[in-house]
Amino acid sequence: MTIVPELEFKIMLSDLNFKMPRRFLINSPEDYSGSFPAVLKVSSEAITHKTEVGAVMGDIKTMRNFKETFKEMKRKFPGETIYSEEMAKKGVEVIIGLVKDQQFGKLILFGIGGFYSELIRDVTFKRIPIDRFDSEDLLEELKFGRVFEGYRGLKVNREILVDLLLKISDFAVKTEFSQIDFNPVFLYEDGYLIIDAKMVI
Amino acid sequence: MSLTNLFSVSSICLVGASREEGKVGNVILKNLKKNYMGEIILVHPSAEQIEGVKCYRSIESIPHSIDLGIISLPSKKAVEALTSLAEKGCKICIPVAGGFGEQGDEGKQLELEMKRIASKFGTRIIGPNCVGVIIPRTGLNTALTTEERSNFPSDGPIGFISQSGALGLLAMDEFSDSGIGFSSFVSLGNEVDVDETDMLSAMGDDDRTKSIALYLEKISEIEKFLSESRNISQKKGIVVLKGGQTESGSRATSLHTGSLLKTSFSLNGIFRQNGIIQANNEIEMIDFASVLSTAKPVRGKRIAVVSSAGGVGVISTDSLENEGFKVNRTSNELAGIIKTKISQLGSPFNPIDMTAEATNIQYENVINELDKSGEFDAILAFVLFQTFGVTEDIIEFLSRFNKEAKTSLVVGVIGGEYSRMAITKMNENGIAAFPSVGRAVSSLGALYKRWEFLRRFER
Repeated sequence: MTIVPELEFKIMLSDLNFKMPRRFLINSPEDYSGSFPAVLKVSSEAITHKTEVGAVMGDIKTMRNFKETFKEMKRKFPGETIYSEEMAKKGVEVIIGLVKDQQFGKLILFGIGGFYSELIRDVTFKRIPIDRFDSEDLLEELKFGRVFEGYRGLKVNREILVDLLLKISDFAVKTEFSQIDFNPVFLYEDGYLIIDAKMVI
Repeated sequence: MSLTNLFSVSSICLVGASREEGKVGNVILKNLKKNYMGEIILVHPSAEQIEGVKCYRSIESIPHSIDLGIISLPSKKAVEALTSLAEKGCKICIPVAGGFGEQGDEGKQLELEMKRIASKFGTRIIGPNCVGVIIPRTGLNTALTTEERSNFPSDGPIGFISQSGALGLLAMDEFSDSGIGFSSFVSLGNEVDVDETDMLSAMGDDDRTKSIALYLEKISEIEKFLSESRNISQKKGIVVLKGGQTESGSRATSLHTGSLLKTSFSLNGIFRQNGIIQANNEIEMIDFASVLSTAKPVRGKRIAVVSSAGGVGVISTDSLENEGFKVNRTSNELAGIIKTKISQLGSPFNPIDMTAEATNIQYENVINELDKSGEFDAILAFVLFQTFGVTEDIIEFLSRFNKEAKTSLVVGVIGGEYSRMAITKMNENGIAAFPSVGRAVSSLGALYKRWEFLRRFER
């Protein structure tokens, strides 16, 4: 089992035109030319649960704040690659996963993300590849699928989501992996952003 | 060798036939004798004849070939008989007795031996521990239950595969007087050779089988099963009642996807993707298989409810809307037409209530107008024989409508003995008829799911 460093995986995804927040490799704070608030992240082969160990620092509002946080991260994780992203505005959160199962072969998982996701565990599965009907079914099969019709002022473009699931299925067909998390993915009225992406080969 | 031979075997050899009342070898012989149209050959070490059928001393001494062997002998002797039958070129063998893999290492060895025989001679083995194979069209019946206590259904469109022999026979008995017919029933037993996917393929190739019901506890090669299901369900409906938990094959892993796969895996989405409609219990399994074999897939969510009892219309509407259907109001134009066809006291909107003054001809007129309007994807008609003007003659119209009209039709009949008899007649005439609101509505749900799958292959 090999963890692909997050930055490396994200660059791979960018090359395939998956949408993510604007991203900068940070050797020194001056490398950041994005907007605030920003997020600083460690890209490592060793760390998969970043938030718990302080390898992700979000809500950085000023350059001064950015410099301090960067310095602290450098100290905690010497030698590791650090990168930064513009912090995305809140969208409807979903989780999209891929896994290669011994019995079923490659599967796609689709589920409700966000704060209560681990409690409600509202997820559904399909075998790879999926077609457009399967992709629409994925949305419909979730108990909280109504969230895609809009929730608390947050709107979702269903077409874009259906296309994203198809694009991920297509990616899964062409890629060798044991597990992949796109978690969370933020959905908006006019698009989506993959906030975190992890891959294990 | 092809398993589809099972549907047309013309000679059967029963090894282990018994003279003793109540013994398995006697029960099977009696069940076979009752309806089997082909030749029955018995093998017995000493008897000249049993139940009037001539016995041979050994399998080797039978002077001609055999299509199907039924082996009613315990463990080692069963394997010996199997070997002899296979050497004789027997196409399919059914070892009936249990006491193999489920009873320890020795039994497992015997099963391995059976597997070797199957692959060496090309004989297909159903079982061991197979409590019944029933093919009504030829009268083949190897069931271990006697006809005094339970019944077997007649020939019809449903193929039924069960990993629990007992549950399978119970369901067959339950539906034996419903007018629903079966093309075949197969208890898979311990599956040393023929597994659920093999049997599914055989029923998929059988023209007389119009829908397939499966009761499954474990699926041995899931990828193979799913892709075969997807192929077959393009031509006929597949219903699965899945007992027990199915876990994914993945081990615990570090990422979120892996842990969700462990804690929250479900087959629902994967079954649906491959054209499999899931049932929640044994009644639904046969209801769904039946409706899929007779009624047209429901191509949308708009349902018209027709009845002669206001209350039945109201709860059907609630039940349909819970299932995700729409009981939308008829257009003014259509309501105007229907108004002229029914009692003045009735309601021409949806649900359409013809009141206790309803008659066969009113049903006929209203159902025809609903079909013509194109406003609905299906009609749920409650034909209630407690209504004076409604008689069994209506079956002729319903049957014709079911064959010719473009709108799907499901019928509900509520009531006692008289109504149950009417349901039987309807089923015999290829009309999907159910004895309750709930079962009729769930079956409409199955027809909608069928269309949801099929539409992806429409151009």
